[in-house]
Amino acid sequence: MNKLITIALISMLATNAFAHSSVDATTPENGATVAEVPSEISFSFTDDIRLTKVNMIHQEAHTVTLDLGDQTSFGRAFALPLQSMGEGIYRIEWRGLGADGHAMQGEFTFTVD
Amino acid sequence: MPDIWGIGAILSKLMLYVGIGGATGLLIIRAAFADLVSPLSDKMRVQIALLAGLALAGSVLGFMLRGAALTGGADGMTDPEMLGLLWQTPVGDVLVYRVVGTVFMIVGVFIPLIGQWISLAGGMIALWSFAQIGHVPELEITGVRVLLLLHLLGVAFWVGILGPLRALSQRPECLSNAAMLGHRFGQAAAVIVPALILAGLLMAWMMLGEMWALMTTGYGQTLLIKLALVGAVLMLAAANKLRFVPAMQSGDHKAARDLVRSIEIEAVIIVVVLATTATLTSVLTLPN
Repeated sequence: MNKLITIALISMLATNAFAHSSVDATTPENGATVAEVPSEISFSFTDDIRLTKVNMIHQEAHTVTLDLGDQTSFGRAFALPLQSMGEGIYRIEWRGLGADGHAMQGEFTFTVD
Repeated sequence: MPDIWGIGAILSKLMLYVGIGGATGLLIIRAAFADLVSPLSDKMRVQIALLAGLALAGSVLGFMLRGAALTGGADGMTDPEMLGLLWQTPVGDVLVYRVVGTVFMIVGVFIPLIGQWISLAGGMIALWSFAQIGHVPELEITGVRVLLLLHLLGVAFWVGILGPLRALSQRPECLSNAAMLGHRFGQAAAVIVPALILAGLLMAWMMLGEMWALMTTGYGQTLLIKLALVGAVLMLAAANKLRFVPAMQSGDHKAARDLVRSIEIEAVIIVVVLATTATLTSVLTLPN
């Protein structure tokens, strides 16, 4: 019986379709390499979303929470100013709320080289 | 793999399913088989209140965890801005349904005569909350919401019999009551259980769109696990109906002990089925 429960639970947690993310496009693109640190990043979504938190992680060492400014209403396109931290890998983690109440999250990375 | 807030969402949804399904199920069984379960009346009243309390806690916890999912930290659970945002979405409406429904269930069990109808109304309100948000309601077909409600009522009826039937089967002096309860439940279940499974399959087909998605997507694979577990429960239920209950009707006390064991295994598998469902409804996206 314990074996059955363990197998079922592991199977449930091992599936790969988690999170209700529906990001359509980002600037810079996910995985892109750019020559200079962009002054802002932008996202667009397939459905309305209200961003609730965006973090920038530089070189997996320094985390900065980006200021959402006045972009605190539901929409499909957002642009946030980015603080330069020099060359390296930038990972942007975002969280938001869908109009249907779903929590959404996702991330993208780009490299400044 | 979901993050910690996703796992929390699954657990709070499981609390909801066990609490609302269990409490509503006991209320239905108490109303449908009042003459047979009367020896358990006081015990069932306490169980209903406790299960409804579990559902109430799961509702509030689930709401707060959604706040945490918005910020990625525990601070979101009490962040007025995040909770206020959620309150304005269908998530807030559903919280109201669940709080009102579970409070009705708790208050109703302590009121004589009309109390059981208040509790049953509370159970219906709480069950109806599941037809307000989620993958099935997103199909935006009113008939499907009713189908989901019927599916949930069938599940509640099935879950609700387990405790009383087990408790009566454990009492040698209640053997005939237990046998009759098992027999009458078996008669009703012969209609209700196929209907609830059919409703479930129909909703799954409407959401997935094609059989291939069962094999190729995380959602479909999890659904297959659920179906396999339901199949296992059905085999146990068939053994109860065709073997143990008839033997108990002949006065066989050993069959009652076998039935108790079978119900306990059935209950464990049903909890895993509910956990699988909680995963499907909390953190997995539909293939399309």
